Amino acid sequence: MDKKYKVQVKDLHKSYGSNEVLKGINLNVKPNEVVCMIGPSGSGKSTFLRCINKLEEPNSGHVYVDGYDIADPKVNINKVRQKIGMVFQHFNLFPNMNVLQNVTLAPVELGKMSKDEAKKAAMHYLDIVGLSEKADANPTKLSGGQQQRVAIARALAMKPDVMLFDEPTSALDPEMVGDVLEVMKRLAKEGMTMIVVTHEMGFAKQVADRVVFFHDGDIREQGTPDQIFNHPQHPDTRNFLDKVLNV
Amino acid sequence: MQSNHWKIFLATLTAVLGIVIGWQVIEPQTASADEQTYTFATNNTFEPFEIQDSKGGYSGKNPGIEIEILKKIAKHEHFKYRLKAMSFNGDLQALESGQVDAVIAGMSVTDERKAKYDFSTPYYTDGVVMAVAKDSNIKSMKQLKGKTVSAKSGTSAALYLKKNQKKYGYKIRYFDSSNTMWNDVKTGNTAATFDDGPVLQYGIKTGVPLKIVTKKPIDAQPVAVGYQKGKNLELQKKVNDGIKWLKDTGQLDQIINKYTKGNGTTKTTAADHTILGLLKTNREALLRGLWMTIELTVVGIIFAMIFGVILGVLGVVNNKFANGVSSTLIYIFRGIPMIVLAFFIYMGVPNVIGHKVPLFLAGILTLTFDEGAYIGAIVKGGFESVSQGQWEAARSLGLPYSKALIKVIAPQGFKLMVPSLVNQFIITLKDTSILSAIGVMELTQTGTVIISQNMEGFRMWTIIAVIYIIIITLLTWLSNYVQKRMA
Repeated sequence: MDKKYKVQVKDLHKSYGSNEVLKGINLNVKPNEVVCMIGPSGSGKSTFLRCINKLEEPNSGHVYVDGYDIADPKVNINKVRQKIGMVFQHFNLFPNMNVLQNVTLAPVELGKMSKDEAKKAAMHYLDIVGLSEKADANPTKLSGGQQQRVAIARALAMKPDVMLFDEPTSALDPEMVGDVLEVMKRLAKEGMTMIVVTHEMGFAKQVADRVVFFHDGDIREQGTPDQIFNHPQHPDTRNFLDKVLNV
Repeated sequence: MQSNHWKIFLATLTAVLGIVIGWQVIEPQTASADEQTYTFATNNTFEPFEIQDSKGGYSGKNPGIEIEILKKIAKHEHFKYRLKAMSFNGDLQALESGQVDAVIAGMSVTDERKAKYDFSTPYYTDGVVMAVAKDSNIKSMKQLKGKTVSAKSGTSAALYLKKNQKKYGYKIRYFDSSNTMWNDVKTGNTAATFDDGPVLQYGIKTGVPLKIVTKKPIDAQPVAVGYQKGKNLELQKKVNDGIKWLKDTGQLDQIINKYTKGNGTTKTTAADHTILGLLKTNREALLRGLWMTIELTVVGIIFAMIFGVILGVLGVVNNKFANGVSSTLIYIFRGIPMIVLAFFIYMGVPNVIGHKVPLFLAGILTLTFDEGAYIGAIVKGGFESVSQGQWEAARSLGLPYSKALIKVIAPQGFKLMVPSLVNQFIITLKDTSILSAIGVMELTQTGTVIISQNMEGFRMWTIIAVIYIIIITLLTWLSNYVQKRMA
């Protein structure tokens, strides 16, 4: 494990039955780095992301987050997850709580903050995502874009070292996408380490430090946005970009 | 922390069960220093020998032949006694294990029993008699050819009928309770019934419209107090002296006649048999039955919920063994008809554990397991229908499994479950009526008993049905209100 990386993945394998969806992935993410993962659906990028906080159990390999190997059964996964924020495609806000409670739940329940501190912090993060006036609202009453921004605030409230985004805008109406991407850009600018699975090529181009192209359970190619989008080396990459950029 | 919750839960369960069992124990008479106290096992209710009052004791005006005899003897012979009311089998087991000093429970003196127990002087002769409807002209067994007769299954009356079936050419129908059996004669379905003499005499005396046609009881056997062989000789002597004194003074006949002849015990005034009249006469009994039904429902639902939530949680936790336990228990208890479960707990389990299961407790256990299994399936289904994304969101924040379940999944799951749970509560209320089969005096059993006395089947069952509908309507309103508040 190299100390200069926030996240280090070594030879990660994952199969469902005989279907191998991750074929030995290696990836290092430096502090403050924004990594965007692109690729056709079914290429394994979401599964890879979910292996990082052990929502999926890897079959073999190592995932180090802040020095902890999540594949090690002795490591308390709940502790490591507190350092990894995750944002889902379908937001997954808790409908049995209002917006504020969604954000304060984990910090309070896990003893990170007192109720008052958590409330203050929550208001701060809701302000960052532009939704402080919705603190008392029921999440089901919000638009998709608003829900996703609350979900980001909820993840941020745990003060994570790294944020995982799993296709955060795929379930949104087009006019909602911008607001969410705006928030993510702001996070990137403020130095948050981020791993983003996305179909928003514009976002990847503009914000990513590095773009990783997944194909068939493997990383085919990676590099700066300029390298990947303007000078793709691998035919699979060119093929994919042709399809998504020329619609 | 998991195991701590368990401990608290178990402690609560034990405490509540303790209270429930506590209710069932009959309060002992206070003993003075100089008088010896003996423990007598007796029947819960075996009319006319033992007749429990509304509180399950024998302090009423008409506690039954044997209780009155015992009371008089104890006073005359200067000893104190304590009563333990159980099933007859329980009585014998308690005697054999030395938990009680004597059994006074309409116990017939047979040769087999004589080899095993000591007996007092008999104070009564019990035998099977034949009864027909009041307006029937059947007088002897010779007139029964081709007709249907009845007896309670397993009794000496049933054996007698079986033995003589060829000779008289009748068909036999077996019943479980005297009341339904007698009613069947009244409605004309069966031509004659064969039952214990004193039981029938007492029934007729309290209003059953039958008449006894046998002059002498068939298979007559003396009834006496039983003791462990060679034990409690001092008590044996006192009881025999007392019986002799009762006989000599004519008090024994007085007591027996009070319950079997004339009309001394119950006022058989020209009763008002309109629905209103029936309600008025039976108000107290019906209220008591209703109260028992409500008590069973409420206590039953509480324990069924506890059991069901445990089953439901075991069904969803991330542990194959726990999942297996949950689905097996749900499978078993949903697969057993509730009446079989009730019989198993009330009459099967005591054979294994060596002492009786109190009636109320047996009822509650039956409801807990049966309704709990259904609630378990509902809870499990409710948790499972909360989307996987909720689990993932909660766990990805670092919440441990238990916190994710309690704070995020359970509240959403319970909301989904409410309609099914309310439905199950209503079913539970109705299912309490099944417990009448083991003799719990809830609303349905109350109805059976009242009808055995006044033979007003149509009107009484109408009353009982309406009472059920009223409380179920109230329960439905209440739950709708709660659901609206929750939404």
